Amino acid sequence: MRFMIIVKANADSEAGVMPSPDAMVEMGKFNEELIKAGVMLGGEGLAASSQGAKVRFQGGKTTVVDGPFAEAKELIAGFWLLDVKDKAEAVAWARKAPMGDGAELEVRRAHDVSDFTEDEVSTETLRKEREWRDANQKPMRN
Amino acid sequence: MRAMMIVKYDGGFEQRVKPSREAFAVMGKYNQSLRDAGVLLALDGLAPSSEGARVTFGGSKPTVKDGPFTESTELVGGFWIIQVRNMDEAIEWAKRIPFMNGESVEIRRLAEVADFADRMEPDHLERRKALETEMYGKSN
Repeated sequence: MRFMIIVKANADSEAGVMPSPDAMVEMGKFNEELIKAGVMLGGEGLAASSQGAKVRFQGGKTTVVDGPFAEAKELIAGFWLLDVKDKAEAVAWARKAPMGDGAELEVRRAHDVSDFTEDEVSTETLRKEREWRDANQKPMRN
Repeated sequence: MRAMMIVKYDGGFEQRVKPSREAFAVMGKYNQSLRDAGVLLALDGLAPSSEGARVTFGGSKPTVKDGPFTESTELVGGFWIIQVRNMDEAIEWAKRIPFMNGESVEIRRLAEVADFADRMEPDHLERRKALETEMYGKSN
């Protein structure tokens, strides 16, 4: 089962305040643990929303707005993608992450192709998605 | 640069909108266009927040709260990670997403090794570079 662990933004991440060198070492160690356990699919940090944009879709039209965006706690600052047995294991890993006081992680399951029935999605679409995922979504190895 | 296109919706969206078979087909075509252009690195759709949890840090140990998180104004519904020249190119790709129902897609730059160079030891930087290649090396 694949899970996304979302790191919520805060005033610091939005201000472009980088983690301290010590914090980066701790994060590196945690990432190595994930890789060693064979669960790490990916992990990234995001640049602040001031470097981003938002597209809104309504009735066939798009509107583009540049960042920054308010409400840091609704924004994301980073994420991991994990391949684990179940939600409990994903939450267990999230609890171990080297986060500071007040940090929040959101654990969300990623859909698998098997979530969708033939009624909901055409056979051809499912086949293509499955093929691509089999080729591309594999845990990182040391 | 790598950009992340993040689908955001409010906590009530999952109850209001259920994608049709037609919508899936159209999205499948869009995903294929990203592959055909050689820009797609990763994508995922997320299951509803009712299957999720939030972990908050502070105090002696983290606390865990199960979803759903219907009061949120911006839940993550899914994402694509694409390889592009700049934000303008990422925005152009985002505008082509076949959404119609008031969805929002946030486009953000993914941090790169260069962003951390002043605060990572050289061997850690090398390790990070190697991981980045492995994470997305086998796309398309």
